[in-house]
Amino acid sequence: MIVKQRLTAGAFLLSYGFLIAIVVMVAIFSLYSPNFFSLKNALFILHAAAPSMILATGVALVLMTGKIDISIGSTAYLSVAIGVMLMRGLHVNPILAMLIILPIGAFLGAVNGFVVVVLKVNPLIATLGSYFTFRGLALQVSNSMTISIPAQLGNIGSLRIGPVFIDILFAAVVLAIFQLIHTRTVFGRHVMAVGNGAEVAQKVGIPVDRTSFLTFMLAGLMASIGGVLTMFQVSSLSPTLGQGYEFTAIALLVIGGVSLFGGEGTIFPGIVLGALALTIIQSGLNFIGASVFVYPLVRGGIIFIAMYADSLKNMRKRQVKVLAEQG
Amino acid sequence: MTAPSLVMTGIKKSFPGVKALKGVSFEAFPGESLAMIGANGAGKSTLMNILGGVVQPDEGQITIDGEETLIHSPSEAARLGIAFVHQELALMPTLSILDNMLISSFPTRNGLIDYDRGEVLCREALSRLGYEFNLRMQVRDLSPGDQQIVEIARTLLGKSRIVIFDEPTSSLTSREKERLFEIIRYLKSEGTTIIYITHLLDEIFTICEKAVILRNGEKVAQSAVKDLTRDGIVEKMIGSQEVVSYFQHHARQPGPVLLTVENFQREGYLDNINFSIHRGEVVGLWGLLGSGRTELFRAMMGLDQITGGRILIDMGRGARPIRPHSGKNPMGLVTEDRRTDGLLLPMSIRNNLSLANLRNFISRLWPFIARTREEAAANEYVRKLNIKSTSIEQRVATLSGGNQQKVVVGRWLQTSPLVFLMDEPTRGLDVEAKAELHSIISGLADSGAAVMFVSSDLDEIMSLSDRFLVMVRGRLVKELPRETTKHELLATASGMTGTMGGE
Repeated sequence: MIVKQRLTAGAFLLSYGFLIAIVVMVAIFSLYSPNFFSLKNALFILHAAAPSMILATGVALVLMTGKIDISIGSTAYLSVAIGVMLMRGLHVNPILAMLIILPIGAFLGAVNGFVVVVLKVNPLIATLGSYFTFRGLALQVSNSMTISIPAQLGNIGSLRIGPVFIDILFAAVVLAIFQLIHTRTVFGRHVMAVGNGAEVAQKVGIPVDRTSFLTFMLAGLMASIGGVLTMFQVSSLSPTLGQGYEFTAIALLVIGGVSLFGGEGTIFPGIVLGALALTIIQSGLNFIGASVFVYPLVRGGIIFIAMYADSLKNMRKRQVKVLAEQG
Repeated sequence: MTAPSLVMTGIKKSFPGVKALKGVSFEAFPGESLAMIGANGAGKSTLMNILGGVVQPDEGQITIDGEETLIHSPSEAARLGIAFVHQELALMPTLSILDNMLISSFPTRNGLIDYDRGEVLCREALSRLGYEFNLRMQVRDLSPGDQQIVEIARTLLGKSRIVIFDEPTSSLTSREKERLFEIIRYLKSEGTTIIYITHLLDEIFTICEKAVILRNGEKVAQSAVKDLTRDGIVEKMIGSQEVVSYFQHHARQPGPVLLTVENFQREGYLDNINFSIHRGEVVGLWGLLGSGRTELFRAMMGLDQITGGRILIDMGRGARPIRPHSGKNPMGLVTEDRRTDGLLLPMSIRNNLSLANLRNFISRLWPFIARTREEAAANEYVRKLNIKSTSIEQRVATLSGGNQQKVVVGRWLQTSPLVFLMDEPTRGLDVEAKAELHSIISGLADSGAAVMFVSSDLDEIMSLSDRFLVMVRGRLVKELPRETTKHELLATASGMTGTMGGE
């Protein structure tokens, strides 16, 4: 007895709404500005979107367990700042210093994980704490200064293979790895199971705490990678590095269909669509000569629509959940 | 005769204040379905939770296939081949059928989930039950019956030898129920031991060979089902000695009809409910767990959307329909779980008491709460209901259960509702607090209000009610007068007699 999956018009819009919106946006911007629709601009858009896609990929898993991490911008800054000071102050080999940044990021994520899982602090509050603490520490470490990095490192930010920026390729590789983790590993499935409700997950024998802890650690690791890429793009460590990244990441995840309620969302195409939608708007507004002050307004509007769509989807999920509990 | 697959000997378990199990022993054999029968609080769930590894016994042994074992956790129970099909299914709605079935034991290859093999395993398990699903479908898109099939199929993957079904038919349609029985027969034919918990006696005679009857934490009988009669079972569940009634009922003359519920309908929960309540009477709503008692109250309060029907209330000018979810609902609900649904625990008695009645402490011109009047009202109800506390500023969380419940009642008293709906108002209270609440309930009816209440305590509902309404599976099946016997009440709720509305 095979039951056909129902796909109503509403469900279709909820699932593919933003894909349609992206197509419409590209069409409008191309109409206003002929240069918008070009390979060159497409590559720039992807180049600009690469760091936030990597950051968002890490947080995606946290969101899928039904928790949240708003400290990743600060995590990115602190881990990168430590790496740069090792290089500048202690004259550690630049490549080695850059590599050390990654375990530092993972460690900072683990701190968040510890506070949430072991100390049982609400994730929003816990990561709000580290949002301030990590940035504060980083400002201490770097003396709140803008520090330029050696040219050979800065060049990586604009390095291309053919016409393609290297960080686009890098983001693609990260997305591919996380896609595999999410869809094909036991850990990835456990993440989704925990997002459906920790109690049920516990009942069927899933290591709920370990799974949550790991997602925070991965979010920290990805934050540090995103931080390094950002630094490469601007060739310096600035005191504002990573500022606002957490909200960009969460916004693009919600736009891409990752539910803040947990248990729902995809790495591919979700994150890519979300990142593209945000970056295309920014680039498009730029192209048609809109004031830069319009951008936050437009972005805010999009986030509202995405949140509303998420809540609509969740209502649908909850209805079935009630039945399931009665089952 | 083959050896028993499961023997539980001298199981004892106490919770603070309650001896849940006082040394229960029983055995179950392969290929056999054993019914676990008992009234609410008889110890069935505790006994099964011990077997499922959810709780640890204080004393006693568990022997599985001749080997004595300790079961520390649900996953250990699973390893021993014990599967628990819960009344509330343990499924993850946004995951696929495949993921739900494999979740605790994914087959892997090179560190990745081997979905090809998993799919074969799941298909095989489902086809043994006679089912074929699109395995990539999300579980939330399945009907409750199909969701249960997925959960049962999951137990087959784990090669379970003992499967516990806890009230498995409570939300199934009659077709789905037939299907489930087929599956149980199939499992038995494979040599699986079935433990079947139910309140519905019909099902026991259909699907079980043996029965264990529990009462007050003790086994009162274990015998073959064919040697039992329905009356005999009910007799053993209640026990022969009458419990002394702690509340003396006094005759009351009910007034005119106050509230009428017409054709209440809610898909899957309530089926064409009709009744009326009079001023000055206490109506006991009796039914088994999951029969829809709480759902009826929630629908009356407008907390759940109904798909059909209406409520009429006579407030002195003839019966008029009301919209329950509007702010002017003249009904007050005392919820089943006061700690999560009824009270704001960190707040004071004063705040909790005035919560539903803040409008009376403000005026149109002065939108700030009149503190002195609020305090006076709080003091008045603390005195009236005899809420034992240091002051009206004491946090509700620090009160005893009985006093917390009195705060909930007091809150509604302040709004002077005409109808009180009380869902298990004395659950978890000690004898003294119970008696106090009983006299409060009785007093409300004496003062002309109508009280409708749910209780799983047979003695309590017998002693307080002027009249009984009995629910079975979302339908109101019978109205019984005050003189009804316990036996009749229990039998009606177990679906043994004819129904009021017909099939």
